[in-house]
Amino acid sequence: MTTRRTEETERHGKQADGWTTSGGKPVRVVLADDNAFIREAVARSLGDFGFEVVAEAGDAASLRTAVAATAPQVAVVDIRMPSTWDLAGPVTPAVNPRMLLSDQLGGLHAAKDIRYEHPVVGVLLLSEYLVSSQHLERFFGDSARGAGYLLKARVTGLAAFAEAVHRVAHGGSVIDPEVVAAMMGRRRSLVDGLSNREREVLALMAEGLSNGAIAGRLRLQGKTVESHVNHIFVRLGLEPELDGHRRVLAVLTALGLRH
Amino acid sequence: MNAGVVTASVTQPRPRQRPSLLSGRRSPLVYGFAGAGGLLTATGLVFKVQQGGHSWPDAIVNCLGGLLFLAAGILAHTRRPDNRVGLLMVTVGFGLALENLQLSTTSWVHSVGMLVARASSGFLAHLVLAFPEGRLHSLFERALVVTSYASVFLIVPIAVPFDDTSRHPVHTPNALLVTSRPDLDRLLNGIVEQIGAVVGVCIVVILVRRWRAGSPPKRRVLAPVLLAVLVGGVATAANGLVRPYPLRLELLWIYWISLCVLPVGFLAGVLRVHLGDGSVRTLVIQLSGALPPNRLRAALARALRDPSLQVGYWRADADAFVDQDGRVLPMPPPGSGRDVRLMERDGRPVAILVHDSALSEDGKGMDAIAAAAGLALDNQRLADEVRVQLEEVRASRNRIMAATDAERRRLERDLHDGAQQRLVAATLYLRQLEHRLGDTIDHAAAELLDRAAAGLDAAIAELRELARGIHPAVLTEAGLVAAADMLAARMPMPIELTATDLPRLTPAAELAGYYVISEALANTLKHARARRVEIDICYEDGLLRVRVSDDGVGGAAIVPVASSPSVHSAPDTDAAPVRLPPGTRSEADAFLHHGTGLLGLRDRVAALDGTLAVDSSPGLGTTVAATLPAIPIRQGGRQ
Repeated sequence: MTTRRTEETERHGKQADGWTTSGGKPVRVVLADDNAFIREAVARSLGDFGFEVVAEAGDAASLRTAVAATAPQVAVVDIRMPSTWDLAGPVTPAVNPRMLLSDQLGGLHAAKDIRYEHPVVGVLLLSEYLVSSQHLERFFGDSARGAGYLLKARVTGLAAFAEAVHRVAHGGSVIDPEVVAAMMGRRRSLVDGLSNREREVLALMAEGLSNGAIAGRLRLQGKTVESHVNHIFVRLGLEPELDGHRRVLAVLTALGLRH
Repeated sequence: MNAGVVTASVTQPRPRQRPSLLSGRRSPLVYGFAGAGGLLTATGLVFKVQQGGHSWPDAIVNCLGGLLFLAAGILAHTRRPDNRVGLLMVTVGFGLALENLQLSTTSWVHSVGMLVARASSGFLAHLVLAFPEGRLHSLFERALVVTSYASVFLIVPIAVPFDDTSRHPVHTPNALLVTSRPDLDRLLNGIVEQIGAVVGVCIVVILVRRWRAGSPPKRRVLAPVLLAVLVGGVATAANGLVRPYPLRLELLWIYWISLCVLPVGFLAGVLRVHLGDGSVRTLVIQLSGALPPNRLRAALARALRDPSLQVGYWRADADAFVDQDGRVLPMPPPGSGRDVRLMERDGRPVAILVHDSALSEDGKGMDAIAAAAGLALDNQRLADEVRVQLEEVRASRNRIMAATDAERRRLERDLHDGAQQRLVAATLYLRQLEHRLGDTIDHAAAELLDRAAAGLDAAIAELRELARGIHPAVLTEAGLVAAADMLAARMPMPIELTATDLPRLTPAAELAGYYVISEALANTLKHARARRVEIDICYEDGLLRVRVSDDGVGGAAIVPVASSPSVHSAPDTDAAPVRLPPGTRSEADAFLHHGTGLLGLRDRVAALDGTLAVDSSPGLGTTVAATLPAIPIRQGGRQ
């Protein structure tokens, strides 16, 4: 853990205990989670890594307000937030089923709105479980720029989590490795023609890493990674020389994000 | 109306035939008479031929009349041993044959024949009056019968000693001749003829009155007999009035022909009163299907051949019998020609049949039809009760299921919002501590910290699985497709998930669909040795269809074994066919252990009026398909 953090810290050329903007100012974060314990703990954790949590929100509506008011670089949003109704009340069979079913994906809806209304604000979605690819597709829209999706369990891997927040804040894309693994598992016919190394490269591409980052992660030469990437492009029938968020989306699409 | 009174007044035994040596049993006496009658008829035919002067048609019709009575009598007796009509018909036939003795050219046989020369008339009068029930209805009728018996068995023999037959055209000597007194003989025979005419007229009048008073069923019974008796009776009466002796040939012919028609008419009447096995059978078959009350009444009326039949259903709350429209059915007063038949079950009144009194004559047939109707009516009542109870049970099962589901949802939420979040927060603080301490602590201390945090992570993962097993939050929050996607992501083999853009559906239907997929995948993982799995979800025409098919070994069957929630019956259940990656093992285990079991699954699907089918031939994979009625639900949030 410690080793990994040190490596990545060095790769990004940042000081050991903080992720800052190029101007030396801390990255401004809005944190949205309906659970106050989590908000507090994550806020502290991000603070330790040099982020500035400018606002916290407990529901979708206050998240929208906070983003509009504070113009952060990134919003870290729990997907499971009440949007209309509070489900925490007593649940009995007599309760109107519509109420029980009223959408609990308040975080997702707010995240989509923010990406549309504030394109410069990155959004990192956190989810307890793998949401359906339909939801993910709606969230990404036409571009994976400044968009991230992680399983909530990742918040306890502090450094990797901080790196993900940082990447999204700077317009990068982050896709949870487990999501990528599940997608690759399902499109086995597509993946079967690749070598093990190429599969590793493909997975990291799908997670949103650049060629340089992939080279660093896999301890490979940049040239080697490029040749793997080219071969994968041919394999998946992708346009060559894609990079960044467009490449992520293309790879995810090839893996079945869009039907 | 009081139920007790009704029961008492209706269930008291109907006045049956008086106990006699014939009642209810097939009697050798009848067959004895019939046998003797048959022999005598044959003998009579021989006599006629010997005597000569009789045309063939005369001989044949004469024999035929007697034989028809004998045959019809035996048939009637066989079918209705408790009805005397059979016996009486046989005696008429016997009497007719007896009369033929006088045709003998042997003197003493001829004389014996003369003694019983009119035997059949007495029996015939008795038969006609006793028809169709087999008993006489009034003192007057008894008097008529006694008179005619006296006339033919007393007055006729008295005249015999005075009849000098040597003066007849066929002169067989009279062995009993005392003195030749033609005047006395003519007088006595004249009396007999006059009595016969009067009795005949009386019988015709009685029959006509019965006809006029009779209900349709009764009229149908009386019709053929009345016709034959009218014709024959008129002929006899005419013969009695028109002299001289011997009989006019035309009248004799009419008499014989009507005599031949009579037994057929009697037989038809007896069998008509008899509610044949056929109608009971038909009725039972009709009643075996559930009949609405109006069709039931029609079927009963048809079986009883009584269009006026009324069915009264017992209404305990009204303390009365009501017809199919709920109107109270009035009890017919005694002597109205209508009888009431009560049908009870376990001492409780079920229904009554108000029917024509003529039907009461066929006790057994009525018993059978009433039993069948009572069974059907009781079944109808029981079916109604069971339906109501079933509806109650179903409603309560649905309530219990909904309550359980709601409780599990609440429990999951409590776990998620409470313990789980606190554990995540605690882990975060521990990791922050670890991060802050950094290189300032020794290796052992760092390892302890890491172990503590890793242990917390594991606890969180287990708690998350536990919560998911209690209730899949993803289903409630993101819908069935998302939940299926999540289930599919846990499987170690490729899963093809095909789903139309599903609306959010009734929670119970979504949950049932989720459990179908979850259970099918669990079984595939456990037994099927499948390489790939397909999941199809679609919603159309108000039906949620969920189908999970694998390419595994197949051979699965729905076996309702409570202890084993498996649809597969593969023998090597212990040998895991699929090696799970280490990361997914605990998930897969939890996945299996949180399954609700196939039995529970079937209950769940059935509670929603859905269907669950498992199609699994050995070697051809397994397909689990469920169809669930579901209603789309407007989403609270935005798409």
